[in-house]
Amino acid sequence: MHLIKQIQKEFKKHPFDYLLFLTVCVFFVLALNIFKGERLLEFIILLAFVSFYIIWGIYHHIIENTLHLKVVLEYILIGFTVLFLIKILIMP
Amino acid sequence: MKNLVDSIHHLFIPRHTNNFRSKLLHHDFLTIYLAFALILTASVTHIQNTSGSILGYATDISPQKLFELTNQERQNAGLNPLEYNEKLANAAKKKAENMFEKDYWAHYGPSGETPWEFILSAGYQYEFAGENLAKNFLFSDGVVKAWMDSPTHRENIMRKEYTDVGFAVVNGVINGEETTLVVQMFGKPLYGVAEQPQEKEPQSQVPAEQTEKDLAAAPETVPETSVLAEDNAPTPFYSIFLDINMIFFAVLILALILDFYFATKLNLIHIKGKNLIHIIFLSTITIGTIVIIKGSIL
Repeated sequence: MHLIKQIQKEFKKHPFDYLLFLTVCVFFVLALNIFKGERLLEFIILLAFVSFYIIWGIYHHIIENTLHLKVVLEYILIGFTVLFLIKILIMP
Repeated sequence: MKNLVDSIHHLFIPRHTNNFRSKLLHHDFLTIYLAFALILTASVTHIQNTSGSILGYATDISPQKLFELTNQERQNAGLNPLEYNEKLANAAKKKAENMFEKDYWAHYGPSGETPWEFILSAGYQYEFAGENLAKNFLFSDGVVKAWMDSPTHRENIMRKEYTDVGFAVVNGVINGEETTLVVQMFGKPLYGVAEQPQEKEPQSQVPAEQTEKDLAAAPETVPETSVLAEDNAPTPFYSIFLDINMIFFAVLILALILDFYFATKLNLIHIKGKNLIHIIFLSTITIGTIVIIKGSIL
């Protein structure tokens, strides 16, 4: 219950940012489905999504006035770990 | 036991020992994940290049597994299991080679090739015959599941007239796309020209203490790779890798949820990224992975 309240609170605080991110998530899954099997395109879509995630992180923390090198590093580390792991499946 | 619980708490729950941030989400841990992912990527690329398979295939599809799953579906429906037929497997291989050579993805070729021609040219005189195709799948169970979900392919698998089946799993490039084609060919030999039973010794993998009944119930041995070349042989690496990937994402999502929960509960103020966005990102990637491993059937 506490968790749901906190999520709602976070969404209400930055509705545009979260809505934008969720929209891009839906487009990411749709694009993968449309270009299923086209390995290079799948990788480009993944790369674009990871890049968007990192840029979103930087933009959001600038707006919130909480941008710090540690924060940027956190988005980069998670983003690139995912990129390399999924790349093995798409283009080994 | 106490130490184990303590370690799990240290890894997942923000508290004084981990500077009020799940240890699994600390920068040193995140760096280790990235280093591990990089080493793994480099190793896989190196192995792919040195083993002679330079195209980007990542599949765990084998004729053996396809055969087992197909017969399992038939047996579940109360039908007789199919027998593995080398001639049909050869016809399936020729069909796949032809699709790559003439660059088409269809049951009928651009020069009028029919599936039946490949079956007849492989020396299999049929009374009934059928063909199922699949491409871009990563795992055998995904292929059979997709066929079973499609009424026309399901009808082929479940057709009671068929007695034999053959498979080919072949890697190549079709419409400029590196892919793995799966061809499944069914047949019932023409009356009077049925093949003599193959004189095949039981494989040594059958335990010696098995009874005669067990041997009779065991599926017929199928070559692990009825494919074009030995270096295209599938390995279980990708299936294990996918499982590890999914577990890794699940653990990371759990750590993020717990960190988010306790940080808000204890009103902790930290310089860190948005856990909620990390969770949404990793969940979307997990869904994307599921989409990637699904292929197409025909």
